[in-house]
Amino acid sequence: MSELPELDPVIHGKLRLALLSLLSGVEEAEFTWLRAKTGSTDGNLGAQLLKLEEAGYVSVEKKFVQRKPQTLYRMTDSGRSALTGYVQALKQLLGAAINP
Amino acid sequence: MQEESTTQELKDRLGLIESMIAEGRRTTESWGWIFVLWGVAYYAAIAWSALGDHSSLAANVTIMAAVIITVGVIVGRIARRKQNSLPATTLGRSVTAVWIAVGISFMVLLPSLGIGGLSTSNLVIAVIGTLLGTANGASSMILKWKLQFGCALVWWMLAVIACVGTARQSLIALLVALFFCQIVFGVYGMICEARERKQRDTIHV
Repeated sequence: MSELPELDPVIHGKLRLALLSLLSGVEEAEFTWLRAKTGSTDGNLGAQLLKLEEAGYVSVEKKFVQRKPQTLYRMTDSGRSALTGYVQALKQLLGAAINP
Repeated sequence: MQEESTTQELKDRLGLIESMIAEGRRTTESWGWIFVLWGVAYYAAIAWSALGDHSSLAANVTIMAAVIITVGVIVGRIARRKQNSLPATTLGRSVTAVWIAVGISFMVLLPSLGIGGLSTSNLVIAVIGTLLGTANGASSMILKWKLQFGCALVWWMLAVIACVGTARQSLIALLVALFFCQIVFGVYGMICEARERKQRDTIHV
């Protein structure tokens, strides 16, 4: 019997999973866009993005555009492979649950 | 019972990933009008040439007008997107790259053929068919859109007709391809985009 895979705890949080999925389809995204798409509060969003940043799954760039501060988030290569691995593990677990 | 809820939770996670990826890729931009604009521009150029008055100017003036309108609107959109902090999608960039490359090929090749004295109507139609077939084909494969691949097949067929058929047959085939693959396809694209916008507005209210 093959061993069941473990799910990456950094990605498993719902908001962090939503953020990584959103970032996988765009080149980079601003904090306000991520907030609008997830419907999250500033504090919670900032905390979850920090966890993803600490895990090396997203990179952050802060800059000024027309004198307004802008925080841009981009998915890193390790974030992309972590999300891919997570989806594979999820499918494997679901397969095992459906066909025990 | 607990196993059932765990399975449901895993399915929810998978559903969340799919919906968020789709949400990230979704854009508010509309492109259908560009197909219609270029379809009408070609028809205007052909009709103007057929009238005989200043026929050498016909293609140059109408195509330049279409280029100016297209570039103007796209530049305005990019500025608006940057102002509103909307992200560029990788999918959108891929499709845009294909069309920009093909647009540049048109701008380089067609005038060069004219300057070189090689611009017979069959050759020009073959070039149009090949390049639009390439752009529609690549774009349809990126977007996984079968209808657009159908348009690509029509353009490639036009290129073949232009190589083996008479000037009259090629012109008729060009008019048919323009009507279906630019005007009808563009209008269909605009309807789809409007439907999607309406659906999104309903969800977000």
